[in-house]
Amino acid sequence: MALSTHTTPSGFNLPSIHSFPPFFTEQPNPTTQTTVTNQWIRLITTYARHRKLFILRIEDAETPGSEWDEILRNERINRRLLPTHLSNIISAMSAKNLVEYEPPKQTRSVLVYWRLPEEWAEVLHDWAVKTGQLNSILTFYDITDPQIESALTNIPVPLLRRAIAILGKTGRSQIIAIPGGEGVRFLARSK
Amino acid sequence: MGGNQSLPKITAQDKAILDLKLQRDQLRQYQKKIQAIQDREQAIAKVHLEAGNKERALVALRRRKYQQSLLVKTDGQLENLEQLVSTIEFSLVELSVLHGLKQGNDVLKEIHKEMNIESVEKLLEETAEAREYQREIGDMLANNLSLDDEDAVQKELEEMQAEALGDKAGEELQLPSVPLPSVPKEDPVKSPETDPVKSKERVAVAA
Repeated sequence: MALSTHTTPSGFNLPSIHSFPPFFTEQPNPTTQTTVTNQWIRLITTYARHRKLFILRIEDAETPGSEWDEILRNERINRRLLPTHLSNIISAMSAKNLVEYEPPKQTRSVLVYWRLPEEWAEVLHDWAVKTGQLNSILTFYDITDPQIESALTNIPVPLLRRAIAILGKTGRSQIIAIPGGEGVRFLARSK
Repeated sequence: MGGNQSLPKITAQDKAILDLKLQRDQLRQYQKKIQAIQDREQAIAKVHLEAGNKERALVALRRRKYQQSLLVKTDGQLENLEQLVSTIEFSLVELSVLHGLKQGNDVLKEIHKEMNIESVEKLLEETAEAREYQREIGDMLANNLSLDDEDAVQKELEEMQAEALGDKAGEELQLPSVPLPSVPKEDPVKSPETDPVKSKERVAVAA
């Protein structure tokens, strides 16, 4: 049977390798394993970008019904990615700074950086400029849950904080903290 | 760290605005929660109804109604809060406009200090004198040169005027020559109805 690409119900185009049974098993040969891991890393980041998924958990490989089912499982060839395999892939991604353990000091769940925090910082600033919200004070909820959906809808707060901190280095953001919570003000690029 | 110096100071107003916005967020989250409860109560009512337990279903629906009234109340509060926030933000804009106007006024005053009316009058007088002088020179030069040329120019002007008049006269002559449409002598009503069968056939063929 020839391997072919497959389009999932969410409109994601799976690569042909996803229909190749050994792709789902860890390979004894380290070179082969590296190739497989790199393919998985690409698949995970592109899928996360397609579905705007931010959090990947080892648990997603353990039980069906998660948002990642379309890539972690392939019912057509009766294969699924084992949790240990996923764990190894995640640690490889962590070494490349493509994911960040979130919360830190555990290895069961990660933030997937399909945009690097630096890129998110630019997206954030662009959004503030385009929506005319420079110089006004915004709550984090304003950004993660705006009335009109934006590119930043549902962005996890830890990632948002990181992006704000990056903008802060160039004087383009300012955190305002009061006892009741925190807010942020975006500023035009200062010379 | 050097960039921090350019950041604006966090004023008490900023903190008040943030506080209001955080409260607004809390209200929005509360509304989400109420919405979730409503959906749950409806599901409960459905389950009870399917199980034939009408009483329980009614209770669930009553609870849902109560949550709905809460939602309406919070809507009003949310509106109040949002209005307050926008009023404050608008006032801040007005304040900065006022500040801008004041600065502009100061600049204007500075400029006016440098150009008082006397010096302007003097300057204008001088300019007028210079213009007068220039005109005199121009007149002198023109008088010297144009005695012959002036005649030629006048002649050309007359020719052009005559030409323009001639064109107009020609147009006016042509206008009445347009023929009037003649009145049709046949009866216009009769013609389409003379042969209704034929015209119907023609339509059918064309279609």
